[in-house]
Amino acid sequence: MIKVEHVTKKFIRYKNKKEKEEFCADKDISFEAKDGEIIGILGPNGAGKTTLLRMIAGILEPSEGKITFDKLNYKENEIEIKRNIAYLSGNTKLYDTLSCYELLKMCCDIYGVSDLECEKRIKEISKVLNMDQFLYNKIENLSTGQTQKVNIARCLIHDPKYYILDEATTGLDIISSQIILDFIKKEKSKGKIILYSTHYMEEAENICDKVIMINKGEVIKSGTPNQIREDTNTTNLRDAFFYMIGGALDEE
Amino acid sequence: MKNNLFNILKKEIREVFRDKKSLAMMLIIPIFIPLLVIGMSALFESQMNKDVEEYNKIGFAYQMTDEEKSIADQMNIDAVIESEEELVKKYDNGEIDLYVTKDENKYIINSDGSDNSSYSTALVESYFNVYKEYLQQTYLTENNIDANKVLDIITVEENVIEQDNFFADYIKNYAFLFIIMAITVSATYPATDTTAGERERGTLETLLTFPIKSKDIIIGKFLGVTMSSVVTGIISLVLAIISLAFTQNMFTIYEGVDIMYSPISIIFAVLVIIAYSFFISGLCIAIASTSKTFKEAQSALTPLTFISLFPGMIAFMIGVTTTPILSIVPFLNFTLIFTDINNGNINILNILLMIISTIIYISVVLVYIIKQYKSEKVLFAK
Repeated sequence: MIKVEHVTKKFIRYKNKKEKEEFCADKDISFEAKDGEIIGILGPNGAGKTTLLRMIAGILEPSEGKITFDKLNYKENEIEIKRNIAYLSGNTKLYDTLSCYELLKMCCDIYGVSDLECEKRIKEISKVLNMDQFLYNKIENLSTGQTQKVNIARCLIHDPKYYILDEATTGLDIISSQIILDFIKKEKSKGKIILYSTHYMEEAENICDKVIMINKGEVIKSGTPNQIREDTNTTNLRDAFFYMIGGALDEE
Repeated sequence: MKNNLFNILKKEIREVFRDKKSLAMMLIIPIFIPLLVIGMSALFESQMNKDVEEYNKIGFAYQMTDEEKSIADQMNIDAVIESEEELVKKYDNGEIDLYVTKDENKYIINSDGSDNSSYSTALVESYFNVYKEYLQQTYLTENNIDANKVLDIITVEENVIEQDNFFADYIKNYAFLFIIMAITVSATYPATDTTAGERERGTLETLLTFPIKSKDIIIGKFLGVTMSSVVTGIISLVLAIISLAFTQNMFTIYEGVDIMYSPISIIFAVLVIIAYSFFISGLCIAIASTSKTFKEAQSALTPLTFISLFPGMIAFMIGVTTTPILSIVPFLNFTLIFTDINNGNINILNILLMIISTIIYISVVLVYIIKQYKSEKVLFAK
């Protein structure tokens, strides 16, 4: 289980060269994700989704609050937690000069997967994701869809317990997006926990067990898609979101 | 898992050797060393063995005696005897290299002090020394004095105990300075690529999600850059040795002189190269890691190339020798110690001080970079 308790993240930003101010990217966010659940983190650009997921992935440190993974926390168990996490974001880039095989082998080494087990997993994953054709090609020569497959393979190679996917389908065509959505469903069926952020509300509606709506760093609504629709008396999450924020987005 | 430092190092080395620009920096700069050695030797040779006919056209603004003409002829001087006015014109047109005017017993050499006229001046001064000796000898003989007894009242002989060659030392020291510069240039590109470049490409975020301590990430990156610098240094040294061997047989100015690095100076050169590679790699990573973009990092690192070269160059020019204090001055210590070794002055204390101070500098720099890699301001700077 992933437990996020009253997490706040403050940054210092510069108004101009001399003046700076503190601003809250995320404010007092709490939720739980149980085994086999897909949690959708929804919100517009700049809502604080990426900061939240970066904190959960251990890339950023919360200013306040606590994040635990089955009672383990980053202060005492950073390496152990990260060994069980797979983080994939729209910004995640791979090492272009490596071949897909070399990248997966490198990940195996880093995550401590034995050589024998690694070869077995590369074979399996390559077959499932249909990567055999380009397994030994350099990443710089792959198409966007093929690169995304390698990214998924990288996440799968150490058989993690927690997936943190930050706008993983943004900018992808429908076929590449579908590859990721299929992968999420498959991992859920294995009892893995998946945190999935997106601003495509329809996508979240289809695959998420629970949804957390964030706007301007604060949780404005959470629950199952059905609950949210009922509570807001709407037919879809998009309308529910607009209902919660009072109809219009206040762009900063 | 336990070998994540090794995994990062493996990744870094693979990236350096596969990246065309890093590889070019690592291998192309050392190629300039043979060009430098051969070019400088050719320049020295042309200066040393300048053909006398290039600077022997001397104007005399007075009537020369037969004795004077004979001495000038023996000394290969092409004497042009004309009025001062004519000689000035010829000098301005470049037809003569200098001209001599006479005021009773005073002879005045008129020249512009250029490189060519300094050769002509030296030739004319030799001519007047011979002529003066001839006049003294004649005067003494006319006064029934044994001229040889007076003129050779004392004799001076030069006994060369150890044959030294200024040019050889010059070339060897400059070749080493160039090796230091090659290492600096070679370190800057991978250091930029592995820090600001990795952030710009978006792979840093991926790296930070791996179960690796930031200490291991930094040390892995640092060792990767150091290894590429050491490779450049060693290639440069090998090319310097080969070009020195080649130069020794090619130019007459090195005849009878051993211009090669001695085995002991090669061993110490390797030691200095390794120490310097560690030092400069750490420094480059520290500077590049605070830069927001690849371009900004490259601009910040450019002055290092000059800083690495000039202290040693100036110290060599003004003849500074190593002291315990100078042995701990970064940049200067590496070139000074190597110059000392080259001159046969191996001072273990100074070498130890250089190594210990380098270890201290590297440790401080590494602690600084590890701190940088925990700073969100640096990692996600935009």
